[in-house]
Parts: sequence; structure tokens; C-alpha cells
Amino acid sequence: MKNLRKLVFLSLLVSLGLALSILESFMPIPFVAPGAKLGLSNMVVLVTLVIFGFKEALAVGVLKSMLFSLATGSISSLFYSLSGSVLSCITMYIVYSYFSNIYSLIGVSIFGAVAHNLAQVSVASLMMKNLKIFSYLPILLLTSLFTGYFVGLSSIFISKNLKKSFPKSCDTSKM
Amino acid sequence: MFLLTKGDKYLIIFIIIISVVSLFFVKRDISNYDKKYFIISVDGKDYKKIYFGPEVVGKQISVKTEFGYNLIEIGDGKVRVIEADCPDKLDVKQGYIERPGEVIVCLPNKLVIEIKGESKDNDIDYISH
Repeated sequence: MKNLRKLVFLSLLVSLGLALSILESFMPIPFVAPGAKLGLSNMVVLVTLVIFGFKEALAVGVLKSMLFSLATGSISSLFYSLSGSVLSCITMYIVYSYFSNIYSLIGVSIFGAVAHNLAQVSVASLMMKNLKIFSYLPILLLTSLFTGYFVGLSSIFISKNLKKSFPKSCDTSKM
Repeated sequence: MFLLTKGDKYLIIFIIIISVVSLFFVKRDISNYDKKYFIISVDGKDYKKIYFGPEVVGKQISVKTEFGYNLIEIGDGKVRVIEADCPDKLDVKQGYIERPGEVIVCLPNKLVIEIKGESKDNDIDYISH
């Protein structure tokens, strides 16, 4: 029964992440480099990481990227978003489990956003065989500060409430 | 404040410093075109187009037309007018120009020198779907 509940909730999170990704693809941030996004779906991965754990977060991130590229029909964006979400998930896991006494969820989310940008820029420069793509990185990093801050802030509130629904699968010592 | 811990604040400051510093470097790097050239035009028509390079450093070009006389000297990636027969000699006083987009204008002689830049692969932007 418990596993079923978790399964349903994880699928809900995946579909929520998918919806957020599609929503934010309609919403370009003006005045910034192309590829800058709000990273709303990062929120879902972060919340999953906090509530359930690393494996589930990785699954949600990968499923979300694959479903997103299926939904929008762009193959090349699969590589960008897949590499981004895998690397950001790993980074957030490391920061959250080992450095959570230093960083709050905001710091974790900023780390995730930075890792996401790094992975995407590296994959883009690999695919286009052009190192000049890296010149976007500083601008992307600056925007990822803002988006990471708000994503982290909302994740704090979300996970605070969700922890009431899933008290056993998480340890309350963190946060 | 705003639920930030000390570590968060240090992280944010650290990232801001890194990105601003690298932004500075990137800005300087981007303005380095692969090739830089200048166009001398007289009365709106192109007179000469010369690429900068080690082989043209120190060369002088004299432009003699029915509108007047100018002597142009090429430096290392920069260009200036050293002699002119126009009355005010504003073009001589302007000195060197070196960045793409900069111009020297000698209005009485209808002479315009403009620096332009071109990169090797700018004929098409990358398209990603």
C-alpha cells in the first residue's frame, strides 16, 4: 500500500515537472542569453530529493526530461535537458546530504542550477563543436542565481508541507 | 534574512564575483574578431579595403582625389591619418582608431575610414530544434 502511494505520488511529481517545463518553455526570459530558463521543473526534482531521496529524484529528473522531449518533439533538447538534470540531481544530492548544515535548500538549489547550466553549456559546445558557447556561461550563472534562489525558497515551503504527508520516508533532522 | 544561511550568502557572493569577472574577460574576447579590416571610401565609393596584418604595419597610403589629399598610416591593428590638406585637420588630430565601428571622417575631402571586423563562421547562426 505504501509503495503504491509513493508510486502515484512520484508519477504526479513527474507530470507536474513536465507541465512546469512546458509552461516555462513558453515563457522566455527577456534580455538574457538564449537558453536561460526559470528552472521551475528543478523545483520538482529538489522536492523529490528532500522527501524521497536520491534514486527517486534521479528517476523523476530523467523521466521528466524524456517526457519533455517527447512532448515537444525535439530530439536535440533531450541531450541538453537530460545531461542538465542528471548532473544537477547528483550535485544537489551531494550538497544536500553532506553540506546541509552549511547550505539551506536555497544554496542546494543554486548549486543545482549552476550544475545544470554547466552541463548544458558543455553539451552544447560539444554538439556544435564550438568553444565560444562557453561565453554564455557567466550570464547564465547570474540568472541561475535568481532562479535558483526562488526555486529554493519555494522548495522550502513545499517540502515543509509535504513532509507532513510523508513523515517516515524523510529524516526531520535536515531542513 | 530571506531564509538564507551564511553559506548561502557566501555562495551567492562567490558566484556573482566569478561570473562578473569572467563576463569581463568574455566581453574583451568577443570583440576580438578573426579578421579586422578597414575601408577607405571617398565620396561614398569604396576606394580601398585593407586587412590588418603584420605585413601592412608601417605602410602609408596616399589618397589623392579631386577632393583633396590625405596620407594614411597603418599601425598594428590600427590606422590614422598623418597628413591632410584640409583646413582644420580634424582627421589628423583624431589619431589612431582601432576598434571595429570606429571611423575617421574628413569632411572637406569626402574621405571616410571605417574599421570593420569579420569572423570566419558568421554566415549562419546555429539552429537548434
